[in-house]
Amino acid sequence: MTKSFGAVRALKGVSFDLHAGEVHALLGENGAGKSTLIKVITGAHQPDGGSIKINGESVSQLTPASAHKLGIACIYQQPALFPDLTVAENIGLRLESASVFRKVNWAIRQQRAAELLKRIGAEISPDAEVRSLSMPEQQLVEIACALGAGARIVIMDEPTASLTQKEQHLLFAVVKDLRASGVGVIYISHRLEEIFALADRVTVLRDGESVGTNKVGEMNESSLIKLMVGREVSAIYPPSESAAGNVVLSLKNLGCAAGGVENISLDVRAGEIVGMAGLVGAGRTELARVIFGITPADSGEILLNGQRITISTPKEAVAHGIAYVPEDRRRHGVILEMPIAHNMTMAIHDRVFPGTWLRFGAERQLALDFTHDLGVKAYGPDAPGGSLSGGNQQKVSLARWLATKPKLLILDEPTQGVDVGAKSEIHKIIRRLAKEGLAVLMISSDLPEVLGMSDRIAVMRGGTITAMLLAKTDAHEVMAAALGKQN
Amino acid sequence: MNTDKHGFKAILLRHETILLFVVLLEWLYFNSVGPRFGSVDNTFDIMRHSVEIGLLALVMTPIILTGGIDLSVGSLLGLCAILFGKFWRDAGMSIPLAAACTIGIGALAGGLNATLITWLRLPPLIVTLGTFSLFRGLAEAITRGADTFTNFPASFLFLGQERWLGIPAQAPIFILVAIGIWLLVHRTTFGRSFRAIGFAPEGTRYAGISVERRLAMAYVLAGIIAAVAAIIYTSRLGQAKADAGMGYELFAITAVVLGGTSIFGGVGTVHGTLLGVAAIAVLNNGLVHARQPREVAGMLTGLLLILALTSSIISKMLASLNARRQTSVTKPIIT
Repeated sequence: MTKSFGAVRALKGVSFDLHAGEVHALLGENGAGKSTLIKVITGAHQPDGGSIKINGESVSQLTPASAHKLGIACIYQQPALFPDLTVAENIGLRLESASVFRKVNWAIRQQRAAELLKRIGAEISPDAEVRSLSMPEQQLVEIACALGAGARIVIMDEPTASLTQKEQHLLFAVVKDLRASGVGVIYISHRLEEIFALADRVTVLRDGESVGTNKVGEMNESSLIKLMVGREVSAIYPPSESAAGNVVLSLKNLGCAAGGVENISLDVRAGEIVGMAGLVGAGRTELARVIFGITPADSGEILLNGQRITISTPKEAVAHGIAYVPEDRRRHGVILEMPIAHNMTMAIHDRVFPGTWLRFGAERQLALDFTHDLGVKAYGPDAPGGSLSGGNQQKVSLARWLATKPKLLILDEPTQGVDVGAKSEIHKIIRRLAKEGLAVLMISSDLPEVLGMSDRIAVMRGGTITAMLLAKTDAHEVMAAALGKQN
Repeated sequence: MNTDKHGFKAILLRHETILLFVVLLEWLYFNSVGPRFGSVDNTFDIMRHSVEIGLLALVMTPIILTGGIDLSVGSLLGLCAILFGKFWRDAGMSIPLAAACTIGIGALAGGLNATLITWLRLPPLIVTLGTFSLFRGLAEAITRGADTFTNFPASFLFLGQERWLGIPAQAPIFILVAIGIWLLVHRTTFGRSFRAIGFAPEGTRYAGISVERRLAMAYVLAGIIAAVAAIIYTSRLGQAKADAGMGYELFAITAVVLGGTSIFGGVGTVHGTLLGVAAIAVLNNGLVHARQPREVAGMLTGLLLILALTSSIISKMLASLNARRQTSVTKPIIT
């Protein structure tokens, strides 16, 4: 099975099979292709090649509606229920045939909901408003819907990400019941212990390829991690040439309850690139948002060049010489409707436009300098940000922050969704900046990138830093720390 | 290059240019129908009658550029007119002092809008819908719906009714405010920030711009200018009643949108707004000269709005079609 998005091939010939009455775990790094595979199976994406067979019958042109009819149900991390309707109404909406005018038989609706909930052992009232349910309870309602629809294939995408220990056990019991009743379950999780507790077989995806399907009994944690990480870091990354200087940024027990990060201690030196690894949701972006003042810290200290500072707004962060190239380029990094020249001067209004009067000539010159310097491909400084490719938008976002002449540059997924060429250009730029003495904190889910670019690597898990590793570490170690395993 | 925004064809297709033609057509038509329409006296009459709505439309422009709206300006005009009368007649203040206090009240009222919008993060539509009722209600409560302020001194009525240097005396104030707002929107970093907020409020925050302060500025400015408009209104009519400026907020918004400012924020010009004001003012005055009933004015204003917006959307579609055809042939690249 293959699936491409533009120039990026998200799935490269993945084969995957699921037996009835089996829990088959799907494992892989962020961006390995798990979500894409799921989307193909549920009909949300059409594969570019390959075939899908269900019960031996070839299925073509799978759409979400036909996947539903074929008994494929997917339970996402965030349940997709209507919060203002009751449990019975939500179940009814999924299961009852839809036509414009139809009498609702409340008694039958109620009864069915009660039966389904009982079957999965959930103690939820059919009359309860979904809004009032906890996250796991909502997931149970989703499972009830899947059961009611006669699902033969149930896909669970990180179902335990937000569950407590007790709730997990309840969920595990339900999954085991499903298996016993002959349902095939595809189970996606980053938590290795769950896979060992629950799954029969496990398939590991890496870079859109399947690197093996094995019986869980034949694997151990170490061998799984090895499969996930696999390759060696290739030599495509420019070598580090800078010697670390003074400590520029120093965090001491920094925390922010609203941002979900706690007890962060970290130093970043001038000329140093500190990589930040971790799984999605580990709190890396949240930490960046705390340092940049979007969700200000409520405990601990931030020291910049040895001086204690408080940052409660992005404006203050910018004034202190902190720059943040955000993860969500299209929403936060670049204003798509505005010319790239305007985008590039946004953070330095005070400097380019003294006395608040716009100076179009100076702005244009600055934009031309940066487009030239960073190799931005655009038809000119007037080109709207949205007309550029992802990699070039990222360079515009970078230019905006380099224009502030920062002391500390925080990069959040600097090469996400960027094509290979632009990616290596961005890497070269980052290296050059470090060489010029900039302190760089680089958040990335791209493990080879973290390993190839960083002088030191901080690994986050559950909102705090769990390991500080040196540059010459191997992927296995980083992944183990991100997953919370000591070898 | 077709993407050049200064090309002759591009200027011709611009919304403001289309609107300018609409105003000229209106003028020519009414001039041919009503014999007195084109006279200097009538021209000044049109100016006098459009100054207050024009002022409100001018300060509405930055607000709509940020993606917001201020429904309270008409009611605030009413409240300020009443308080101005109160300050002068009941508190015994001189006219200049009363005017200064009124402008202070306008700034406070704008500050109230700004506070609710930026601190409580409530949508501007809801906040100003609330203050729309609040300000009008206060004006009515203060006058108990009956009190009217009249008998202002002639020196004050001069501002609204006489000529100064050959033009209506309130015109210089309007021109000054128009120039000020134009510079603010088109030539300062504040205007740039308004647009950025209109396009992407979160993105603007991430660029280290204080979104709250910029928004507060726009709403406070609206309050101040609404107070100025209230003083001119009182002077023009020679009286202040609680219903002053009723419905003006909608005329102002109509003028801004007619002038090509996107109600979603980001896109728009102050000269567009001025043309929008002119188009509405000429239409309303011209219909009187064409001996049409007053109801026709509202209908035609609506029609004008719809026509102007469709024509500019169609011309934009044509332009982008052309642009696509061009860029597919040659793609100029700067590296």
